[in-house]
Amino acid sequence: MKKKDVIGLYSLPTDIKFCKKCTVSNQRPRITFDENGVCSACNFAEYKRSHIDWGERENELIELCKRYRKGNGEYDVIVPCSGGKDGGFVAHQLKYKYGMNPLTVTWAPLKATELGRANLDAFIASGFDNILGTPNGKVTRRLTHLAFKHLGDPFQPFIYGQTNFPLHMAVKYGVSLIMYGENGEVEYGGDMRNAFRPDRKIEDHDEHYFSGLPPEFWTEHGVSAADLKPFSAPCYDDVVRNQTTIQFFGYYKSWDPQENFYYCKEHTGFLPNSKRSEGTYSKYASLDDCIDGFHYYLAYIKFGIGRTTSDTAHEIRDGKINREEGIALVRRYDGEFPRKYFKEFLEYCDVTEEEVHEVIDSWRSDHLWEFSNGVWQLRYPIWESN
Amino acid sequence: MRKTRLIARLDIKGPNLIKGIHLEGLRVIGSPNEYALRYYQQGADELLYMDCVASLYGRNNIGEIVRDAVKDVFVPLTVGGGIRSVNDANELLRCGADKVAINTAAVSNPELISEVARRFGSQCMVLSIEAMQVGVGKWEVFTDNGRESTGLDVIDWVKRGVDLGAGEILLTSVDREGTRKGFDIDLVQAVTQEVTVPVIASGGMGKPEDMVDAVQKGGADAVAMADILHYNRATVGDIRRVAKLAGLDVRNYEAA
Amino acid sequence: MKPLEVTLIDYGMGNLLSVRRAMEHCGATVTVTAEVDAILTAPRVVLPGVGAFADGMAELRTLGLDATVRQVAAKGTPLLGICLGMQMLLDESEEFGITDGLGLIPGRVVPVPRISTQGKPQRIPHIGWNELVVPPQGCVDWVGTVLHEVRPNDAVYFVHSFMACPSNPAHRIADCLYGGHPIAAAIGKGNVFGCQFHPEKSGEIGLKVLMSFLSQ
Repeated sequence: MKKKDVIGLYSLPTDIKFCKKCTVSNQRPRITFDENGVCSACNFAEYKRSHIDWGERENELIELCKRYRKGNGEYDVIVPCSGGKDGGFVAHQLKYKYGMNPLTVTWAPLKATELGRANLDAFIASGFDNILGTPNGKVTRRLTHLAFKHLGDPFQPFIYGQTNFPLHMAVKYGVSLIMYGENGEVEYGGDMRNAFRPDRKIEDHDEHYFSGLPPEFWTEHGVSAADLKPFSAPCYDDVVRNQTTIQFFGYYKSWDPQENFYYCKEHTGFLPNSKRSEGTYSKYASLDDCIDGFHYYLAYIKFGIGRTTSDTAHEIRDGKINREEGIALVRRYDGEFPRKYFKEFLEYCDVTEEEVHEVIDSWRSDHLWEFSNGVWQLRYPIWESN
Repeated sequence: MRKTRLIARLDIKGPNLIKGIHLEGLRVIGSPNEYALRYYQQGADELLYMDCVASLYGRNNIGEIVRDAVKDVFVPLTVGGGIRSVNDANELLRCGADKVAINTAAVSNPELISEVARRFGSQCMVLSIEAMQVGVGKWEVFTDNGRESTGLDVIDWVKRGVDLGAGEILLTSVDREGTRKGFDIDLVQAVTQEVTVPVIASGGMGKPEDMVDAVQKGGADAVAMADILHYNRATVGDIRRVAKLAGLDVRNYEAA
Repeated sequence: MKPLEVTLIDYGMGNLLSVRRAMEHCGATVTVTAEVDAILTAPRVVLPGVGAFADGMAELRTLGLDATVRQVAAKGTPLLGICLGMQMLLDESEEFGITDGLGLIPGRVVPVPRISTQGKPQRIPHIGWNELVVPPQGCVDWVGTVLHEVRPNDAVYFVHSFMACPSNPAHRIADCLYGGHPIAAAIGKGNVFGCQFHPEKSGEIGLKVLMSFLSQ
């Protein structure tokens, strides 16, 4: 299989550098480093801690809620969630602290884990209305197969759907306000343009999520436009007419995923896993889909940034662990192959083990990887950098 | 008469007392020795200090903290986390520990149990077991703070450990740890039935009454408590009172 | 007023730091040493000990300290043996084969009974808090002993698999009961005392015991 031009596709710098404060490298698409070698996410975290008047931000939230609250039993905010800690936190706060009437919307995982389903049920049982959008299983599998083969990320179609479903629901229910948890680009290092505003322009999300490959690509591979409808955004005019606005709770409240976990354990019946997730040490994040391990694994192949790197990076920024520990954890767990659901993955995507390894290897850029002593190794792992 | 011991468990990372759920998602609670002193004054029968980042680094780092603790705290102290050799154990004992708790290193080198027991006495050698349920009535031994699976059966391992010289078992249920759902009584019972050395039940204490079950139904000789104390949901005195009311034989202690 | 001084024998075994800290907490100035002269001239001596009897005696012998301890006792200097230190005061022990002790208090060290008086197996080592009681024979009054400030039924901390059995009941100051069997918890002969329990680990009661020893 032909090697992909990872550098070109993602505009990656060719020399690998690590943030001086956290564990993330400059290979994360769209991340920037300042003159001190500190990444934008760490700088933002510092800014969050020292320059933001959270009291002020809360007042803004209260004003926002006043503006959008309907108070007549109709939904006044859409909260995208999976039954996990982040959406759960946002929904619970909006409903029980700020008096809103959220409709929580969940885009079905490709293959739900038992724990994930239990957490979603517990969340609903704790007092929330929820709509689960489950696209055509056959189509989803086909899209996942294609995304894996051509984009090196089986999760892309899921992400399309997950992004667009709240827009569909917003339009259908006549709810203007969609409240996400955090702005991932801002919190984890990416496009910082929305760092100082609560929202994201409706037109913007095109750039962040579609990876330059519009759904038209799929039509070529036997997936019709009709099949794609549930995954695509609703008609733009309808979105505008609905006065839809996408906002981030992380603008109004200092975002701390670990604390969200504890909050949800307390308030929405959220249960972490006793066993750590593959590819990391964490037990409380992203527990709901058997297939997501392959999304993280491929990110590790493409960027050298696995699940442990992501988890340790935000835990360092949030003051939970220090960099030394982060590096030790990355060394131990990053890039661990997601063995547990490998069989399920092969079946779901209708691929063979050989094909999987072929695809994986086609995404190993020479600037990141070298084959030595019979194994693929990162050229510049963080634990060897100074 | 066998007295039930109330043990305050302090999980430590670097300079901090921490607490998580299933040994993960660790939150900083405060200064270890400050909390240790508080629990000593509340009447804890023993203290347990676990260095939870030690096995990640391959070394135990809490000698200083232990040295400091024994200035004001005069009850037995068990220290664990990253102990890999007789030397490591000796270092901690010289810092003031009375017993050492070993898990990861014992699994990879079971002879270490005998070496420590021989050198310091089996009463000093606490075999720490992190148990994760893998089936009905079946638990697997985990190491590295509940992160690595070993394939070992807990019952087989605990028998072997005691044969090798372990004088006490610290049994932590990873599944219950931090959940406040109560101890895994089946697990505790399965272990206490198999060995004659004392067993400390750890993981899951939600309310004071939970420890009564661990002792009366599970057969535990001692109970380790963390979350309930660190989050100030009960004091050691409250728990002692409940234990007494339930008819357990506990030390007579009235906090000043 | 002269400061309270006490010397702890460092022969490589025992929870020295804890004993030291506890003594300091009681206001004593503590010397930790293995030097013969320093031990012989000390106003009070403590022999700590954790571990196996044979190892303990071997270490003392290697350092020549077994003779030193006997001399300390002979001189009339108050001597306190703690845990293994107390066991070593006796004539001999059955742990890992017969080993000679210091012979300062007649008797022998035997295993803690594995079966209670009710016929039930009991956990060994004897670990945990246990109440001090007046022994059926021997000492009736703790005044003037290391248990001067202690009352019957006060609990102290034990951790041991072997127990000292003084052949003379007069040398038993206090017992504790384990599975119905009496265990010598505190013993004494003249200026020589022993605590099977750990006074440095027995909370405020233990500190009282140490204070009493310091005023011997």
